[in-house]
Amino acid sequence: MIDSVTEDISLSKPSDLVQGTLDMLLLKGLALQPMNGLALSERLRQISGDVLQVSDGSLYPALHKLEQEGWITAEWKVSEKGRRAKYYSLTRMGRRHLERETDNWGRLSGAISRVVKLKET
Amino acid sequence: MMRLERWFNKSSFWLRLLFHRREADQALDEEIQFHLNEKTEQYIEKGMTPVEARRAASIELGGVEQVKEQVRTVFVGAWLEIFTQDVRFGLRLLRKSPGFTAVAVLILGLGIGANTAVFSIINGLMLHTLPVQDPAQLVELLHQYPGEPAFNGFSWNAYQILRDGNHVFSDLIVGSVNFFKVRADTLQPQTVFGGNVGGNFFQALGVRASAGRLIGPEDVQIGHHAPVAVVSWSFWRSRFNLDPGIVGRKIVIGDNDAVTIIGVAERGFYGLSDEAQQDIWLPISLGPSSGWGFGLLGRLKPGVSIQQARAEMAVLFQTIANLPDAGPFVTKMKLRIEPAGHGVSTPLRAMLSSPLLVLMVVVGLLLLLACANLAGLLLARAASRQHEMAVRACLGAKRGRLIRQTLTESLLLSMMGTALAMLFAYVGIHGLIRIFASGRQMIGVPVHWEALSKPDWHVLLFTGVIAIMTALLFGLVPAIQACRPVSAQPLQETARTGESRSQRRFGKSLVVSQVALSVVLLSSAALFVGYLLELRNLDPGFRRDHLLLVTLDTAHSGYQTAEYARLSEQLVARLETIPGIESATVSSMSPMQGPGASASAFETGHPDNAHSVSINNIGPRYFETYGTPLLSGRYFSAEDKDKPPVAIMNQAAARNCFGDENPIGKHLTLSHITLTKGEITYEVVGLVEDAKYNDLQQPAPPTIYRYLAQQTFSGSQLAVRTRIAPDAVAAAVREVEFSVLKTVPIVRSITMNEQINASIVPERLIATLSGWFGTLGALLAAIGLYGLLAYTVTRRTHEIGVRMALGATRSDVMAMVLRDALWTVCAGLVLGAPLAFWANSVAVSLVHGLPVKSPVSIVFGGAVMIVLALVAAYIPARRAMGFDPMMALRCE
Repeated sequence: MIDSVTEDISLSKPSDLVQGTLDMLLLKGLALQPMNGLALSERLRQISGDVLQVSDGSLYPALHKLEQEGWITAEWKVSEKGRRAKYYSLTRMGRRHLERETDNWGRLSGAISRVVKLKET
Repeated sequence: MMRLERWFNKSSFWLRLLFHRREADQALDEEIQFHLNEKTEQYIEKGMTPVEARRAASIELGGVEQVKEQVRTVFVGAWLEIFTQDVRFGLRLLRKSPGFTAVAVLILGLGIGANTAVFSIINGLMLHTLPVQDPAQLVELLHQYPGEPAFNGFSWNAYQILRDGNHVFSDLIVGSVNFFKVRADTLQPQTVFGGNVGGNFFQALGVRASAGRLIGPEDVQIGHHAPVAVVSWSFWRSRFNLDPGIVGRKIVIGDNDAVTIIGVAERGFYGLSDEAQQDIWLPISLGPSSGWGFGLLGRLKPGVSIQQARAEMAVLFQTIANLPDAGPFVTKMKLRIEPAGHGVSTPLRAMLSSPLLVLMVVVGLLLLLACANLAGLLLARAASRQHEMAVRACLGAKRGRLIRQTLTESLLLSMMGTALAMLFAYVGIHGLIRIFASGRQMIGVPVHWEALSKPDWHVLLFTGVIAIMTALLFGLVPAIQACRPVSAQPLQETARTGESRSQRRFGKSLVVSQVALSVVLLSSAALFVGYLLELRNLDPGFRRDHLLLVTLDTAHSGYQTAEYARLSEQLVARLETIPGIESATVSSMSPMQGPGASASAFETGHPDNAHSVSINNIGPRYFETYGTPLLSGRYFSAEDKDKPPVAIMNQAAARNCFGDENPIGKHLTLSHITLTKGEITYEVVGLVEDAKYNDLQQPAPPTIYRYLAQQTFSGSQLAVRTRIAPDAVAAAVREVEFSVLKTVPIVRSITMNEQINASIVPERLIATLSGWFGTLGALLAAIGLYGLLAYTVTRRTHEIGVRMALGATRSDVMAMVLRDALWTVCAGLVLGAPLAFWANSVAVSLVHGLPVKSPVSIVFGGAVMIVLALVAAYIPARRAMGFDPMMALRCE
């Protein structure tokens, strides 16, 4: 009788990230270059030196939610191997949102660093 | 701009999903498969076997179906699935408590059904617009004689003056209504309701022809007698089966020559009133040209307001009133202009519009009461489910989800109630129409009762809106309550008491509001029932018991007037010999039958002091049969037949024409008698008491009684005073009548009491319905109060135990409960009394003649509620009294 839909997406790999940060990373990845889901997750892993690994199960729900919000759009294209795949790219709205989120993240991480760097007595 | 773009992207996404669900699903599948295949290939390149690679890729993905499911929750469809889940959950919950569900659905069914029924009739009668072009621009002209209802009827002269002199109407349409006797070689002789219309009638209304052409200006030239006719679409279908050869068909109207049907009006057009539908139209040149029977309808010029029209036309009408040959009635008339987009005013509408509005308010209040009652019920249930809700909240259910679920329950109840309501509404509408139809028939106008009950999208919309609003009204509170305590404390607290303080306060205020509404309903019911009783016990100026009324159809008897007069005397004499019959008489009119002839009366030689009077032509034993006392002078006798005209007056007429002087022996002149030309002088031979003429609500009008034997009219109303029950002699009366007047059929035979009852159908209806609804409302409020008290007693068990331990007696405890009840009722009274006062004043303004007795009715309502409260408090009080102090103290 008890049913709930938990919305927190938890990653099963090394670091746990909050949903918003995941969105930001995905958007940034797409800002570099339009690509499909698999390529995007691999790119992120590659850039972050294997630290950020988005679990496959959380990737697609996140991508579709971004599409729903209107921050990315999708297009069916043929991959290099000749198969059909869905390629996502950033919209103008998405670009703006990404800028905002990046600013916020910068401020947040700067503040956390300052606190953490305080010398203990 | 940014928001717009974002909205656009979002909506195109949603729209695509909505309309291409299956494709979206397939695309998703393909996308996931691509990912899986690519990953598998990568693992194969790394050296795994195909099977292992596939497995590893699948595990990493987390299962294709799960991923798809997760993505789907982002889709619109997921929302619907959650909604379906809510609905199923709600249904399960309602099934678990069938008693509650049944009661709630029943209450909702009655409340919503009553509202739908009344609104449906109001819609059919008053809100339906005519199927013409721009109905909002149409207005009707009415003349109003002081003291009488406004009537749309003018003389031809007046029409011409108004038509030629105005600047506010782009068209002034003229028409008169009539019953036509129609005959054709393929058609049985039958009576059809229709009218004579002016040349611009169809044009100005914007009505098109569905066959042939319609009457136009060319058919209505002066001197040019165009023998043409237009019929309605349903006439074409029912009488001629949509035969295309209808155009050019010849039919015979009345005793005149044949006319040619030149066309059929567009489907759905039946003249200017839905209740009095016309099926045939002839040019106005073929109809009567005298009298004040021409109805006028105007189309306002664009930009002209109705007030402007009223101002200009009032001035124009004055010129008519100032004409030298204007009769005494015309000079006192005023012109009125009313919007006619919903059809012209008809006697039916005049009779029913106020009662229907009153009923609408009453059932609306009842529904509000029912909502408050249901809200209380649901609140109590929500309180008992608080514990469950808290657990669910702890286990992660989102607040919005909980609200949505409880609101869905309310919507479900509302939907079920609405389904039941449809059934009640159907029964209710037809019952109401049957009651209306039993009332007094309007002479000369047919009534299409079906027009009142046409189901319409207005009604469906109304019902839907009400259903949703009702659900919100009684469902919102439990929903809000459900979302509040999302913390650990409720788990302990609510397991015990199940309610918070604010909830209790709200529950109490719900009961208070129910009591207030109930007081309003009860007091208005008291007003209406009181009015009805007053009407019933009113002295109408004659004896209404033991009186049988028989209406004869003298139109085609074939008898000459003198012959008929002789035969009717014979009939009266024969009737008086029947055992059980005291006396019998013949007259033109019987009281309460409806409007009759009228005239302008003045003392002979004093024409400036003329007054309007009603006229009745009577036989010898009229006043004895009806039981109206003679005050002075004498009755008519057989000798008067050959003497100069004589008349009997009633007090009101005598006061008007002769002041305080004794009118006996004086002379009276009547002019402008209905259907009569010229003036006639009468000698006054008798003075009788005032008697009601047309209806009970209005005071007895000044009345002049003339001797039938001196007239050229045939009396068609037979009245018989009986010693035994009137129905017992009805058969004997029929026999005798048939044997004396073989060619005169009996149209109707009822008792005087029945006739009076038929004349007050609207008042009876309001009284009955408001009485029932008031009772229902009071019962609901009492039940709500009982629930509250019972619950309070349970909650305060511990406290009662303490009091008892400290020395309170049983009667103290009972007093405590009763005090609680009375305080609640008083709060309700304080709220309800001013509301009832206001409602009563609205009722008085709507119902003509309603006596203002607000304080009495409000006191009545309050008294009833107090009594009911005491009754409702009885059981909880007894329970409280019966508490064992030790048990009560132990109850935490």
